Amino acid sequence: MGTEEAEASVYRVQDEVSLLRASLAGETAAWGEIVTRYKDAVFGLCLGFLRSPADAEDITHDAFIRAYDNLRRYNLEKRFSTWLFTIAANLCRNRLRYRRNHPVVEPEFESSGGCDPAAAIAREERQNRVRDGLTRLPYGYRAPLVLRYYNDLSYREISEVLAIPEGTVKTRIHRAKAMLKDLIGPVGVIDHETG
Amino acid sequence: MRQDELERTLRDALCREVEATAARLTGLEDRVIADLGDRAPRLGVYGWLRRLLAPSPGARWAQAAILGATAAVFLIVGFWIGAERAPSDPADLRAASRFTAASAPVNDERVLFVLPALNAKSVSVVGSFSDWEAVPLADEDGDGIWTARLPLPPGRYEYAFVIDGRWWGQDPLADGYVKSFGEYSSVRYVGGGGDGA
Repeated sequence: MGTEEAEASVYRVQDEVSLLRASLAGETAAWGEIVTRYKDAVFGLCLGFLRSPADAEDITHDAFIRAYDNLRRYNLEKRFSTWLFTIAANLCRNRLRYRRNHPVVEPEFESSGGCDPAAAIAREERQNRVRDGLTRLPYGYRAPLVLRYYNDLSYREISEVLAIPEGTVKTRIHRAKAMLKDLIGPVGVIDHETG
Repeated sequence: MRQDELERTLRDALCREVEATAARLTGLEDRVIADLGDRAPRLGVYGWLRRLLAPSPGARWAQAAILGATAAVFLIVGFWIGAERAPSDPADLRAASRFTAASAPVNDERVLFVLPALNAKSVSVVGSFSDWEAVPLADEDGDGIWTARLPLPPGRYEYAFVIDGRWWGQDPLADGYVKSFGEYSSVRYVGGGGDGA
């Protein structure tokens, strides 16, 4: 086992607070373990917000860099993931502003294929429609939906991440779901398949 | 579509979307660590303050450096203000220096006010000792050095000269200066007191 690998395995068993303390001391390998633990969650958030895998990858990377640089601002008594998601959400918002002035080609998502195509056809169809609907939702409605159903955040945590009142979060999620239903509903395929 | 079904489908759709593109995250840790290099998290303003206040030998040097720099800034600003407001004519300055010793309060507590103003037609002093009424200075021998000797009890006095109707708030021989309503005034302590004005 090499030195770096041994170092990484040491961090692998450490709790989050220890990793953050080590990161504060400038141990970037400890921060690497934090990246491992949170990269999927941050990437999912960015992908949900931005609807572009390439942009989501960029922003995920930048979010971890920015979070490390500003780690001393993080209050260890608060939930780390919420703080990290706030940074990622802000970066996503900036990227969307940039995109408004620099339009890009619509993103294409690869089809996952699935391990059991015959059984998954209906589900795949539903998910594709939901993804399309999500892409067409305005950002202000899409973001709380992603944080709620992908990142599993509470209403209070979503309000912290997006810097909006908790009541607004509830309203937006409720409306977002109604809008999503409208966006995917007119064809009627889903109701027939599942009903 | 029912509400719970929509939520489940939404959750599944987002997860599948991430799974389908998660290959992009391979090696992200290494890229982040490489980009960070050897740097530690930024200290920030509070971090710097904490470091400065921490009782370590390095911090003491930093404290000394900051104090030194602050003192230097104050000195520079003070000299600059003095250069802006004090008489700029070398002859005036030479004349003023002759009176430095005489400007201290005399034994009989008659305080000497002196100002070199070679081409002035009238010079007076106004201050807290006279309810800011003008007290004229005299230049009896016409050498451009204007003087007045005023009997003052011990205390702190704010004052300014008025040269041909123009406010001159910074007496080079004052003990200090204060700024109020955008104008400087000079401060002088008589007899070591501090409660006169």
